[in-house]
Parts: sequence; structure tokens; C-alpha cells
Amino acid sequence: MIRLENISVEYRLKSERVLALRNVNLHIREGSFEAIMGPSGSGKTTLIQLIAGLLTPTAGNVVVSGENLNNLDDGKISAFRNRTIGFVFQFFNLPSYYTAVDNAALPLVFAGVDEGTRRARARALLAEFGLQERLEHKPDQLSGGEAQRVAVARALINNPKIILADEPTGNLDRETGTHVMELLQRINRERGVTVLMVTHDEKAAAFAQRVIRIEKGELA
Amino acid sequence: MIRRRDYLRLTTQKLGLRRKRAVFAIISVALGVVVVVTANSLMEGVRDVAVKTIWTEEIDPNIIRVYAGENPYEFGPPNEGQNQKAKKRVQYLSESVFDEIRGWAGVEAADRPVSVQPVSISQFGKRPQPVVELQGVPEAMLLQYVTDRARLTGNTNSIPLVVGEREVQLRFDEKHGKLENDPAGETTWLGREVTIVLGDNYARLSGFIYDYAKREYKPTSDDEITTQRDAMERSFRAMYDTTIFSTTLTLKGRIVGYCPGNKVLMPFDAAVMCEKWLEQRRRLASRNPLPETDEVVYGDRGRRTPKAGEYPEGIVLVKPGADIEEVAKRIEDMGFSVATRARTFENQARAFDSTVHIVKLVAFAFGGLILGLACGLVWSTTSKTVSDSRVDIGLFRALGATKREIRRLFLGEAVLQGVLGTVFGMVLGWALALAISRWVISFARGQVFDPEEAMLIPDSIFSINLRFCILLIVGAAVVSLLAGLLPANRAANVDPVKALKRE
Repeated sequence: MIRLENISVEYRLKSERVLALRNVNLHIREGSFEAIMGPSGSGKTTLIQLIAGLLTPTAGNVVVSGENLNNLDDGKISAFRNRTIGFVFQFFNLPSYYTAVDNAALPLVFAGVDEGTRRARARALLAEFGLQERLEHKPDQLSGGEAQRVAVARALINNPKIILADEPTGNLDRETGTHVMELLQRINRERGVTVLMVTHDEKAAAFAQRVIRIEKGELA
Repeated sequence: MIRRRDYLRLTTQKLGLRRKRAVFAIISVALGVVVVVTANSLMEGVRDVAVKTIWTEEIDPNIIRVYAGENPYEFGPPNEGQNQKAKKRVQYLSESVFDEIRGWAGVEAADRPVSVQPVSISQFGKRPQPVVELQGVPEAMLLQYVTDRARLTGNTNSIPLVVGEREVQLRFDEKHGKLENDPAGETTWLGREVTIVLGDNYARLSGFIYDYAKREYKPTSDDEITTQRDAMERSFRAMYDTTIFSTTLTLKGRIVGYCPGNKVLMPFDAAVMCEKWLEQRRRLASRNPLPETDEVVYGDRGRRTPKAGEYPEGIVLVKPGADIEEVAKRIEDMGFSVATRARTFENQARAFDSTVHIVKLVAFAFGGLILGLACGLVWSTTSKTVSDSRVDIGLFRALGATKREIRRLFLGEAVLQGVLGTVFGMVLGWALALAISRWVISFARGQVFDPEEAMLIPDSIFSINLRFCILLIVGAAVVSLLAGLLPANRAANVDPVKALKRE
């Protein structure tokens, strides 16, 4: 499903060269639920940005669903992200001027889906996540857990094969975090979506089938 | 691939977030457009009115009016000091000049026009615009307006008169107080005996007042006429022996033909006699008569007053079929100014066109300047939106928006500001132009002395040039597109990784 072959990522910080990832090889099976753990600055987020095609490796290949992302132009890689990847962020990243429905439906805007279909799908998904009473609420009217559930709905709206979650419980209390993790686990089990999650939280990592540890840009 | 409707939705949503700034940019664009649209909407109409109201039909197509020109070979008096610049003097027309012109092939007659005033023709007294001046012209010129020569040489000692068509084609309906067209005017007046009252100082008193709003004449009240008469008498008493000055001479006249415009023409010789009588009366009545002297008097700009036998004005009648422009050119070569029907129309139209052109240029330059500043504001608003939307841009990119789509989103925002501002400005400009048009029309009607001329002034000078409006909208879209290009490119190149990173 996801294959990272001899990946190195290097960038410059002022005049200093920083090696974010060094010769990483990783294979993630379809339908798995995996957690990436490691200290801050170890390269966890860089790893999922590579898989999303938001970052190009300095060396090596990123192959997702048989597609080498290095070979795709901006249009194709954007379409790939839109169809294949769903994002869940630590800080939700829900534009404040959109309602829960509009936020959940946002990826469909970039897929060219008409408004009626978009809203119907978003409503159904939000209702499935217990947010039927919060459809027309704006993010500042939602609790942290509700906002993250809207973000998860947004990640799922396009029926992606992969969900990339960057610290999904990092901004939530323990109980709410557990609910979100249960939701991700349910999605993984019921829909067969591959979930790759970056986390510091051992309890959150416990929901994963495998924990990948990374330190100083290398897999441990 | 974002749908077109969604582009508009996303753009307006983004613009709505920076409402104050966007409104400011839109108003700025609108201000520039208002200036340009107002000027454009009015100038076309103003030109149209000007062309319509140029009274060239008063100038007979066979007549050249000649005016004193500046003679570059005569200079100011020698005792005026060495440092003073040489002054040009007016070269007046004289008998020798007329003699020379009369000798040219194609010229029927050439003479000075004799202006006889004040005068009243009793039968015209009840007309809204009383006749106060008779113009003496050469016999040949008078003859061309006389269709029936028998009337001219009848067994009567009355003076033949040629009346301007405008004097007889309008009839005043006393019952309704309205000026009306009189289709039978010419036949009514032709051959009619009239009484000419020479030296009628009160000929200018108007028995009617024209209401421009209703386009109607109303009889002047007795009080108003008494006030006017008193004011006139006061001014006469200050200058003249009023008994002598109020002496009038009654002559008999008869209408023998019609000429263009509203002049009343009489034979040159009769006019000279009338002029002499009026001059003698004026000299007698004047308390301090001017001394007869040969001293040369210089007026404004070094202009010398005409000596005896010098005239500031002349008329030349060209034979039918002769080239009037060729004769006019020869007169010009002698150092005089000339006016023909064609030249007057062309000159006035050209002068007006150049004025309209200058006003338009100034308005367009001013509008362009404001639009330039407005474009700066559009650029600044779009830049600010880009800066404030970095996280959203990063999110959109992560969710599948391409760089091209992000660019189009922000370009759309800039174009939307430009086009909204232009449309808003256009509507405001039209409203302003309409208001100005109304004001100008009412002002113009108040300024035009002759009500018949006022009737030619239309109800509005406002016009919409659709092609110009479309060009303006397209232009505004292109200019705002250019203004938004830089910020939109910046937005497209936002690194989603950096944009989504939160410390």
C-alpha cells in the first residue's frame, strides 16, 4: 500500500544542513492501523508529509497504491491527495467561517462535486459521528471533541484509502481523545481504511496494530 | 477541479472576511469609474446639444461676414516708450476695401451693414420678442430675398423690408399665452404695410416673460413694465435731454420678402438716412457731446478706434454659383476675419470638439489616477488576504487544491473587487451624470436669452455609451487581474507544510 524506499530528506536551516530523515525504508500494509512515535524533531511529521505528497524527498522513492509520487506533477499529486488521502490535524484546521457541514464537505469542493451532493454526504457522515445536532454550527461553537469529529468526517468524505493523522489527540483531554481514537479504530475496522497516526501519546498508540518508532530521522 | 460556482462562493467568502478593506478598495475603484463614466455620459450629449443649437441658418449661404482684422504692419504710437512692445492695430474696413472686393469676379455686392436702432415696428409690438434693430444691406442682397419684384417697385413711398423667417413663422396665441408655429405666417405678412418708429427707446421693453419650465410666455405685469420703464428713464435722464432723446420719427414700411434667421433687413440707402437721423438726435440730446477731433484714440490692446470712413464690419454677397470659400480666402488674405455658414458651423463644432476632447482627457487622466490608486488598494487587499489565509491555503492544498486553483481563487478576488467597483461606479456615475444633466439643462435654459433657442435645448444631455461601458468593465477586470497577479502567485506558492505548521 505505502512503500518508502531509501528515503532521505534534507533541508537547510539558515546556513546549516539538517537531515530530517535518513535512509528510511518502510512498508505499510493496506487496511492497517499504525502509529509513528518518537521524540519531537525526530521526523515523524516529515514522514507523513512525504506520504501525502506535500514534501518531495531529497533521495529515495515514495510509492503509494503503486504510484511513485516523485513522478507526479502538481495537478496529479493534488488529485491524488484529494482522492487517496484524508488528513486529521492536531489543531483541527477547520476554517472558522464554514459550518460543520461546509467544513466536512470541503475536500469535495476540490473534487468538483456539486453542492447538493456535497452537503448530503457531509450531513450523513456527521450524523453517523453523532453530530446531527451540530450541522450548521461554526467551529467556535463546537467542543474540541466535536471539532475533531468534524475533522475526521472531512478526512473521510472522499472515501480515501489512507488517513494520515498528525497528533489527533494532542489538543484534546484524555476522555475525548479516547473517543476520537475509538472513532479512528472503527473507521479502520469497518471501512478498511489504512490509518497512519503520528502521536506522542502511548495510550493513543495502543489503539494501533503496530507502532513505528523513529529517532533522529531513522527508524528504530 | 473546482466548479465555477464554487470559485465565486469561495472568493466572496474570502472577501467577506476582510469586508472593510474590500469595501474601501471597491469604493476607490468606483470613484475612479464615476469620474470617467460621468464625463463620458455627459460629453457626448453636450456635443450633441451644441451641434443642434449652432444657429448657422442665420447666415445666408451666399453671404460672407467680414470683420476687422489685425494689421501686422501698423504699430503703436512712437511716443509710448522704447520698452513697450509694438502693438498691433485693428485694420478696419473702408470704402476702398469694399471697392476692391466689389471688383472681384463672383462678388455681387460688398458693403458695411448699417445697424439702425432703437427702432420698433408697431405691428410686431405684440410679439414676444420685439424687433429693435433694422439692418441696412446692399440692394443686391435685399433683392435675393424678394420673390415678387412688383412689390418692390410699387407706387408707394414705404420702405421695403425683408423679415427673418423666425419673425413670421411663429405666432403668439394671446388667449393661451403660447408661442406657436404659424404655417400661414409668410402669406399673412407678405405685402403688409407696417409702421416703423425710429428712435423708440422703449422698444426693448418686453410685454411677455418666458417660463422655461412650462415653455410658455406669460404677459408681463403692468407693475413690472412700469418698473422697467422707470429704470430706463432714470438712465436716459443721466445722459441726455430726454425731450429730444424721446423724439421719434414714424416711417412707413412694407414686407417684401423673407430671409434666414431673425433679422429685419432694409435697403442700404434708407438705413443710412435713418442712421443719420438717429445720430443727429443723439448729438442734440447729449449734454456733453464728444468733440470732433482727428486725434487717434487707442483702446484696449492698442486698438485704435475707427476714423470716419472706417468700419469694423462688412458683408459680401457672392453671386449664385460662385465659389464662396475662394472669395472668403481672398478676403482673409487682405487681413480680415471672415465668417460663412459652413465655416461658422465647422469652427464652432471643431472648437467644441476640442473642448470636449480636453475635458474628456482631463477627466480620464484624473479617473485613471484614481483607478491607479484603487488598483494599489486591490493589490493591498489581495495581499492582505493571502497573508491572513496562509493556514487556509495550506489546508486547501492538503485537501487537494492545485496551485493553479489557488492562484485563480485569489485572482478572482482581485477581479471581483475591480468589477464590483466598476459596476458600482458606473451606476453612481450615471446617477451623477443624470443629476448634472438636469442641472445643466435648467441652467442653460435660464441663460439662453432667446426662448426659441431654448426650445432647441433637449430635456437631457445624458447618454450611455454601451461599447465604452463594456470596455470599461473589461479594462477594470484586466487591470485588477494584473493588480492581483503578484499576491495570487504568492498564494499559489505557499508551502503547505510550512503553512500548516504550528509551534
